[in-house]
Amino acid sequence: MILVNGVLLALLALSVIGCALLGPVRLDLWQAWQNLSSANPDAEIFFRARLPRVLLGVAIGGGMAACGVVLQALLGNPLACPQMLGVSGGASLGGILGLIFFPNWLLPIAGGLFGEISWVPLAAFLGALCSMTLVYRFSLFHGRLHPYHLLLSGVIFNSFIAAVIMFLNSIVDFYQAQGLLFWLMGSLSTRAYLTVAFIWAYIIFGFLWLWAKGLSLNLITLGEEAAMQLGVETGALQRQVFVASSLMIGAMVSVSGMIGFIGLMVPHVMRLIVGSDHRLLLPASFLAGGIFLCWADTLARILLAPAELPVGIITAFLGGPFFLFLLYREGRRKLAL
Amino acid sequence: MAALAGLAHPASAPPPQRIVSLAPSVTETLFALGFGNRLVGVTTYCDYPVEAQKLPKIGGFMSPSLEVIVAKQPDLVIGVSSATDPVKAREMQRLGLKVTLISLVSINDILSSIKTVARLLGNPEAGEKLVRKITGQFDEVKKRIAPAPRRSTLLAVGVRPLVAVGGKNFIDELITLAGGENIAGNAAQPWLNLPDEYVVAKAPQVIIEAGMESERSETAKHWADLRSIPAVKERRVYSSPSDKILRPGPRIGEGLEDIARLVHPECFAESKRRNNQGSGCEGSRP
Repeated sequence: MILVNGVLLALLALSVIGCALLGPVRLDLWQAWQNLSSANPDAEIFFRARLPRVLLGVAIGGGMAACGVVLQALLGNPLACPQMLGVSGGASLGGILGLIFFPNWLLPIAGGLFGEISWVPLAAFLGALCSMTLVYRFSLFHGRLHPYHLLLSGVIFNSFIAAVIMFLNSIVDFYQAQGLLFWLMGSLSTRAYLTVAFIWAYIIFGFLWLWAKGLSLNLITLGEEAAMQLGVETGALQRQVFVASSLMIGAMVSVSGMIGFIGLMVPHVMRLIVGSDHRLLLPASFLAGGIFLCWADTLARILLAPAELPVGIITAFLGGPFFLFLLYREGRRKLAL
Repeated sequence: MAALAGLAHPASAPPPQRIVSLAPSVTETLFALGFGNRLVGVTTYCDYPVEAQKLPKIGGFMSPSLEVIVAKQPDLVIGVSSATDPVKAREMQRLGLKVTLISLVSINDILSSIKTVARLLGNPEAGEKLVRKITGQFDEVKKRIAPAPRRSTLLAVGVRPLVAVGGKNFIDELITLAGGENIAGNAAQPWLNLPDEYVVAKAPQVIIEAGMESERSETAKHWADLRSIPAVKERRVYSSPSDKILRPGPRIGEGLEDIARLVHPECFAESKRRNNQGSGCEGSRP
């Protein structure tokens, strides 16, 4: 099974290179390597327009899939996904408010030393933190996090936020509404390596944290009581997994908006391939999610060129039917958690 | 021109006196024709001219309220065929209202819609006069930029995401009339989200950001790292928030001049102060 992860890692490396070479415009890689310092269109296309976005896609795809795996285990629900936790809604609302009220604010990094980043992702991340705290508070009873409450409060919180966003969308001006809609649909468009590095740092940290809990996650899928009898501190585990995945989701939504389906679908597919041992399933899902989003974003750039499609459309188009096919093929056999 | 009911209008009937406008451009046209006093309802987006802001509102551009419109007892409702909800238009007709939807896709559409509205209101001469004024403004710009070479141009509303003017959009025509060449003009969509790499590959000589939220500093900063783009290198990245450019109404003549001034500033400079050098307007005359 180490083999599977090795193969996936190789595929991921190939995908990164392949996706960075593919796009709506032709790229002369030889030209790109010449003259890196001065203004060179090929170098700019490769190093500024494509590479950061491919790297961001790998991080987001991997992070979404990893969060999906642990949330499905934690909540004991095969339908659990990063979009259900309430955090994504909070991040969206934060981002939207940032877009409406301070669209042109830029934050200097270390006094402008490392350039400036948009204020919007930070507003989104703040929104994610607030909603995480709220949902957490509502699901905590006598110091214990209840999966059902977590699921319900997340879903209800998200629908409430969706209504707030639709309300804001209907009171802002026409062109602004269009911009908000695009932002909500999600995009990996970025040229800032700083943003990419920030997301990778978050994802790696969160992923390692979750991976370290692999064995406990295996046990908790047997049921809370069984896990407790086997020595798992279920209360602490639930809290830690919730906080870790919420932070990851908040960071991801804040830079790329809502990119759905990966967190729901990739974990199920990988469970069919590598089984339910989270120590293997987590890295396998991370790698597969990265590969999937990498290619989905490349399709989003190419399919209607020169127009760019929202990448969430591609993930849903590819993911939905494929997932239904898997369900059909599995017949009555329940997708094992 | 999709005039649903306008054609059957008998010449003898009195021209409409209570009009509801379902789009900012329609409101502007009515005021420009001198019929602003006949408006009994406009959308919340109708902000020009200032008098329009004081008129009763019938809801948003995409979501006008049917009952508010009916309560105004209009004898004519004017909407835009690509924006007004056709179900709502039919509903209004069923309720006995006269609804006219005008098409505003191309410059020709805009000009002929002005004539149509003027005719509907019983004053075709006002329409002819307004159209003559606009085409006069067009000719003036054409004359100015005639000697200048075409400059490839990106016109966008918003940089995050980058939403650009595509083909089948009157603004695409305006760019061409202004002596530019829209880098996304061959796109099938009137508006499209462009990836950065496409802009780098197309190397526009002029970048104009016309979104109402745009600020010069942000627009310039957004492009600053892509120095291979001629517009960035030559500092031809402009932020020009302008309803004159974006609204398919009677101010498109002024909008055209706004674009032309950005695409070919040298053609609008005072001739005394200029000497013929660089890519100057006369300087490039063959």
